[in-house]
Amino acid sequence: MDFVIAGLIMGGLYALIAQGFVLTFLTTRTLNFALGEFLVLGAVIGMGVGSWGWLPDAGKVAFVILTVGILGAIVYRFLVLPFTTEGPHDARWLLSTVGLSFVILNLLTNSQGATPKALGYGGFGEFSTVLGVRVTTQALVIAILAIAITALLVLMTTRTPLGLLMRAVSEDADTAALMGVSPRRIGMLAYAIAMGIAALAGVLWASQVGVSVHMGLPLLVAAFACGVIGGLTSLWGPLLGGAIYGVLTHWASFELGGVWGETAGLLLVVVVLIFRPEGLLGRRLEAKL
Amino acid sequence: MTSLLKRLAGGTGSRSVKAELRGDVLFALVIGVVGLIAILPGRDGAGTAMADMQLVGSIFAVIIAAIGLNLLTGYAKLVSLGQGAFYAIGAYGFAYLFLDGGFPALLAILVALILSGIIGALLALGSMRLRGPQFSMITLVLAIVVERILEQLETFGRASGYPNPLSHGTGLLEPIELFGTRLEPPLLAGTPGNVLVALLIVLVIVLVLYRNLVRSSWGRSLRAIGESEHLAAHLGVNVFSRKVVVFTVASVLGGLGGIFYVQIFAHLQPETFDIFLSITIVLSVILGGGGTVLGPVIGAALITWLQRSDVLTSVADAQQDLFGTDRWYLSTPGLLGLLFVITLFLLPNGIVGTANNALRRWAGADDESDADAALADLEVAQLPPREERREPGAELLRIDGASKRFGGLQAVGEMELAVREASIHAVIGPNGAGKSTLANLLTGVYQPDEGSFRLDGVELAQLKAHAIARSGVARTFQTPQVFPHETTLENVKAGFVDVAQLPLWKAALKPPSQYRREREIHDRAIELLDRVGLAEDASTLAGSLSYGKQRALEIARAMAMDPRLIVLDEPAAGLNPTECDGLAALLLQLREDGMAMILVEHHMDLVGQVADEVTCMDQGRLLAHGSAEEVLADPAVVAAYLGVPDPDDVAEMEVAR
Repeated sequence: MDFVIAGLIMGGLYALIAQGFVLTFLTTRTLNFALGEFLVLGAVIGMGVGSWGWLPDAGKVAFVILTVGILGAIVYRFLVLPFTTEGPHDARWLLSTVGLSFVILNLLTNSQGATPKALGYGGFGEFSTVLGVRVTTQALVIAILAIAITALLVLMTTRTPLGLLMRAVSEDADTAALMGVSPRRIGMLAYAIAMGIAALAGVLWASQVGVSVHMGLPLLVAAFACGVIGGLTSLWGPLLGGAIYGVLTHWASFELGGVWGETAGLLLVVVVLIFRPEGLLGRRLEAKL
Repeated sequence: MTSLLKRLAGGTGSRSVKAELRGDVLFALVIGVVGLIAILPGRDGAGTAMADMQLVGSIFAVIIAAIGLNLLTGYAKLVSLGQGAFYAIGAYGFAYLFLDGGFPALLAILVALILSGIIGALLALGSMRLRGPQFSMITLVLAIVVERILEQLETFGRASGYPNPLSHGTGLLEPIELFGTRLEPPLLAGTPGNVLVALLIVLVIVLVLYRNLVRSSWGRSLRAIGESEHLAAHLGVNVFSRKVVVFTVASVLGGLGGIFYVQIFAHLQPETFDIFLSITIVLSVILGGGGTVLGPVIGAALITWLQRSDVLTSVADAQQDLFGTDRWYLSTPGLLGLLFVITLFLLPNGIVGTANNALRRWAGADDESDADAALADLEVAQLPPREERREPGAELLRIDGASKRFGGLQAVGEMELAVREASIHAVIGPNGAGKSTLANLLTGVYQPDEGSFRLDGVELAQLKAHAIARSGVARTFQTPQVFPHETTLENVKAGFVDVAQLPLWKAALKPPSQYRREREIHDRAIELLDRVGLAEDASTLAGSLSYGKQRALEIARAMAMDPRLIVLDEPAAGLNPTECDGLAALLLQLREDGMAMILVEHHMDLVGQVADEVTCMDQGRLLAHGSAEEVLADPAVVAAYLGVPDPDDVAEMEVAR
C-alpha cells in the first residue's frame, strides 16, 4: 500500500511538469523537447535570486516563473513557430527544441558544475503522514499544487474569454486566424504559461533535492510518459497519467529493483502509444483530406 | 563540361544502360579510393596515426548508422530520435554474444544484426500508425530505456564498461579472425589496425546497396510516403508494411554501425550510447542533407570529426577569452546543439541538398522553356496500344447499391453506375451530391457501408486504397497532388507499378534486368510527359508548375500505372478555356487508346464534349442516367442544379406582395 501513496505523490510532480507538454500541444500541436532544461533553468535562476533579501520567498518564486515564462514565449516565437510552416508533417520544431536543450544544458553545466547545490528557500517542512504513510511535505505540496493548477487551467480554458480563444486556436488555427485571433500570440501565451509551470516545478523540487543540472532529463522523461499515457490533448490527462506512471514505477522498482522502475513506466508508454496513441483521455486528431 | 554538369543536375539527359552502369561503378570506385586514402596513414601501425585511424573508423561507423536513419528520416520523413539505441544494441549484442556467448565472430555479427532488426520491426509494428511527435517520442523512449539498461545492468559492467577486467579479466575484446587473419583494432602502436580494411570493404558494399535502393522505384516509394501517405497509397504502395520494412532496415544499419564501433574500440562504455549519440546521428543527416544520397555520409564525417578534433575545444576556449569568464560558455555538446539550430535556419536542405539546388538553378537558368504549353496546345502523340486488347463497350466496372453514411448524413445511398471499356462516364451533380464521396469509395479512401464495386468481376469494396490501385484503378485529385520538390519527370516515374511492387533485394542489388527496367521507365515517362504536353518541363520542379500543368502531370502519372480505369476528380477545375479544350482532346485520345474513365465534373461543356454516358447524382442518389443530351435536358437534373420553386414559398411570396 505504501508504494501506492508514495507513487501517487511523486505522480503529482510528474503531472505538474507534464502540463507543460499538454498546454503547448493543445494550442500549437508542438512540444518543447527542452522542457527539462527549462525546469533546471527555473531552479538555477531561483538560486540566483536567493540572495535578494528584500524580496519575500513567494516573490522570488513569482520572479522565476515570470522570467522563464517570458523565455518560453520567446522560444516559441523564434525557435518553434518558424519550423512549423510546412504543414502538419513538419517536425523541424522538434529538432530545434532538441538542439536548444543541448545548448541550455551545456551552458548550465559549464557555469554551475555537476554537483547539486542547496536552493535555500521554498521548502515546506519535513514530513507529513498521508493515510499512515510518511511522505515529504514538499512532495505533498507539489502534488496538491498539481491538482490545483490543473483545475485552474481547466477553469481558465472553459470559463474565460481567453480560454475560448485558446480552444478556438486548438480546434483550428487557420480558421481562428481568419476570425481575427492571432494563433501566434495564443501560442506564445501557452508557451509562457507552460514554461512558467515547469519553472515552478523546478524551484519547488530543487528546494527539496537541491539544484542540479541533471535533474531535467529524468523529470522530462517521466513528464513525457505521464503526458502520453494520460493524453496530450486533455488537461486532465497528466493527473491520470501521473498517478498511473507514479504508482507503476514505484511498484516496479520496489518489487523488481531500481532499473525496472523507469523501464516499466516507459514500456507502458510504448503500449499506450501502440493501442491508444491519443492517450487514455485524449481526443483522436483526424487528418483532414 | 557544362553540358555534363547540366545533365547531372537536370537528370533528364537520357542515360543509356551503359552510362548508368559506368556511373554506378564510378561511385563505388570513388568511395573506395577516398576511404583507402583515409586509412592509408595507419598502414604501418605508427603510434602517431592511431588517433586518426580511430577517428576514421568512428566516421565509418556513424556513416552506416546515418544512412540508415536517412532512409527513415530523410526520405520517409519519420524523425527518429532512437538510432543510437540500435547502434548500442548492435554493439553490445555483438560483444556479449562474442565474449560471453562464445559465438564465432561472423555468427555473432549476424545474430546482433538480426536482433537489431527484430527490435526495430517490433517497435515499427506498434508505432507505424503514429506520425510526427508521437513517433519521435516512441523512438526517444527506446533510446532512453536502452541507455538506462546499459547503465544499470550488472551483466554489462555498469560504469566499468564491457568487457571489464573485474568480470572478464580483460578490458578489451579479442580481435575477430577472418580467413586466418586477425583483424586488429587501431589501438596499439606497432600493430596496424587492419580491421579498417575490412570495415572499408563492408562500408563500400553497404553504400552501393543503399545508393541503388534510394535511386530505385523502392526509394521513390519512400519519398512518396514522406510527401503524403495518402497519395502513396493511391500509387499502390502498402504504406504500413513499407514503413515497417524501412524502419527495420534502418535499425539493422544502426546495429551494423554499432558493430563497426566495437571492432575499432574493442570496449564499450554505457555513456557512449546516451541520447546525445542519437541526436548527433540525426544532426549528421540534417546537416549533410536528408533525402540526398551523399548527405548523411558527408554529415557523419563532418560531425564525427568536429566531435573528436580540437576545433570545438578551441572554440570553447576562445569564448572564455572573449567573454572573460570560465563559466558561461558553450563546449562540445552545446556547440553541436547550436550548430543544429543554425543548420535548421540556414541550411534546411543540408549541405548536399543546398548544393544540388544551386546546381539545378544554375543549369536551368539559361534554358527557360517558354511556358504554358501544357494542355493548351498539346500535340497528341500516339502511344503503342496496350498488350491486352479490350473489347470496347464491354462492361468494366459495375457499382451496385453503394452506400456511405457519415454520422447522420447519407453521403451516398444505393448508387449504381457502370463503366464500359474505352469510354468516358461522367458523374455530375450539384455541390454536395456525393460525387467525390463516390470517387473516394471506389478508390478506397473510405470503405463503403454497403454495396459492391466490381472491376471486371473482381470485388473492390473491402480493399484498401493501395490494393485498389494495384487492381488497376488510378485516380487524380480535386486539388492536384504532386511531389512539389521533385522534377516533373520523377513525379511521373512515381506512378509506375514498380514503386509499389519492386522487391527490396532487387532494388538494392540492381541486377542487369533492373538497369533495363529503369531505362524503360525513363523512356516511357518521357513519352507520357510528351503526351500531356509537359516534355519541355521534364526537369522543372513540379511545385513550380502552373495549376493546369500540375493537372496534366497528375494524368500522366495516373497513366504510368497502366491502369484499367482512371478516376478523374474534377480535372477541369481551375483551368482556363484553352487548357480545358486541351484536356478534352487528351481525354478523347485516351479513350481512342482504349482507356476507361470516370469523370467527376462540374464543367458541362467538357462533359458534353467528351462523355459517352452521364450519371447525375443528387443528395447521394442516382437522379438520371443516359447520354449527355438526355441527362442535361432532364427536368429533374435542371431542378437539382437550379432549384424548383416550392409551391408553398411561391404562395407565401404572393401573400407578402
